[in-house]
Amino acid sequence: MLLRLEAVSKRFGRDWVFRDLTFVLKRGEAVALLGPNGSGKTTLLRLMAGLLKPTRGRVARQGLALYLPSPPAFHRHLTAREHLLHDLAFHGRAGDWKGVLERFGLPENRPLAAFSSGMRKRLALARLLLLRPDLWLLDEPETALDAEGRGLLLEVLWEARKEAGVVLATHDRALAEAVADRSLRLGEA
Amino acid sequence: MRLRRTGGLRPGRLWAARRVWLLALRDLRLEVRDRFGLLSVSAFLGVMLFVMALALGPDEGPLRRAAPGVLWVALAFMSTLLSTRAFALEVEDGTLEDLLLTPGGKEWIYLGKLLFQMLLLLPMGLLALLVVGGLFYLPLERGFALFLTLGLGMLGYASVATFYAGLLSRLRGREVLLPLLLFSLVVPVVLAAVRATVGLLEGLPGDEVAGWWQLLWVFDVVYLTASTLLFPLVMEG
Repeated sequence: MLLRLEAVSKRFGRDWVFRDLTFVLKRGEAVALLGPNGSGKTTLLRLMAGLLKPTRGRVARQGLALYLPSPPAFHRHLTAREHLLHDLAFHGRAGDWKGVLERFGLPENRPLAAFSSGMRKRLALARLLLLRPDLWLLDEPETALDAEGRGLLLEVLWEARKEAGVVLATHDRALAEAVADRSLRLGEA
Repeated sequence: MRLRRTGGLRPGRLWAARRVWLLALRDLRLEVRDRFGLLSVSAFLGVMLFVMALALGPDEGPLRRAAPGVLWVALAFMSTLLSTRAFALEVEDGTLEDLLLTPGGKEWIYLGKLLFQMLLLLPMGLLALLVVGGLFYLPLERGFALFLTLGLGMLGYASVATFYAGLLSRLRGREVLLPLLLFSLVVPVVLAAVRATVGLLEGLPGDEVAGWWQLLWVFDVVYLTASTLLFPLVMEG
């Protein structure tokens, strides 16, 4: 068991985003979170990551969980190489950062301020692939990606689910069907 | 139960110390490339000291008497500005959550941000000391003792400022709230630092100033320990 949510509810002010949600994710599993805007997909991902606390219920995680927000967050004054090297060092891991950057078609030494949103999304995926977390929490990973980037995303997600657990929030049914074993619909009465 | 990972995490104090160092160096790199923080602090320092010198001068007596107070007001504002920058870099780029998701305790984030500030504050403080020396007829013969006072005072001030900057980093109006919360808590540090500086400039022997240094040291240890222990709690989601 990588992730377990037991009767989790979340409220902002007077509004309940969701109530009594129970969910288990095992290694090698991929789950898609579906639902309209405002249905609580991002909130649920952030709860799973530990960035938010549930109003009620309990969230249990094992191993390294990494959350990819939409849009991904990077320091604009650092280069892709510096970002990946810092991430590896912070997490105490080693990896072929150069090979990963080549695979994703990203320049090593250009500051992130000069990256397009698609390039930033590619770098975020490259970062996850390099750090190999146990739990991948992805918020709309397909946005801003071109056709080639989308192909890379599918490859990466298939690689990830061999040894980790994946939860992705998406509006793209085709992506959800291609990657996920099951889906969780939010925002339904 | 923890899951085993290939090339996984290396726990322990040495590893935490490495993270502290890496974070401080990364922030230093960001600040140097951004230039906004360093330029605004330098401009503030220059303008403030120059205006105070013009207002209190040109006679040597009033300038010398006011010098310790002016120096510490400048250092306090400088530290407040830099502590805001330490977390503003993360908030502006949205990267604070990445740091919070890094496994292990969160103390290293606080200590890394504090180290980043001290790496900037000490040279900037030394620069301020030299400028005050030039403009306010400050005798700098006891340079090492003055620098020790500066280091102890700044550590105490920055340890509280960094804690509050982290606590307020995700709130609107943090620039207003930070000085309000901070100044009430750091009064003893500023007072002890000013008294030690006055003592040194009046030529008091080292053992008479040592009492203020000891007081500064005690406040440094208390503030640093309390902030390090409390920081992970205030950064929880």
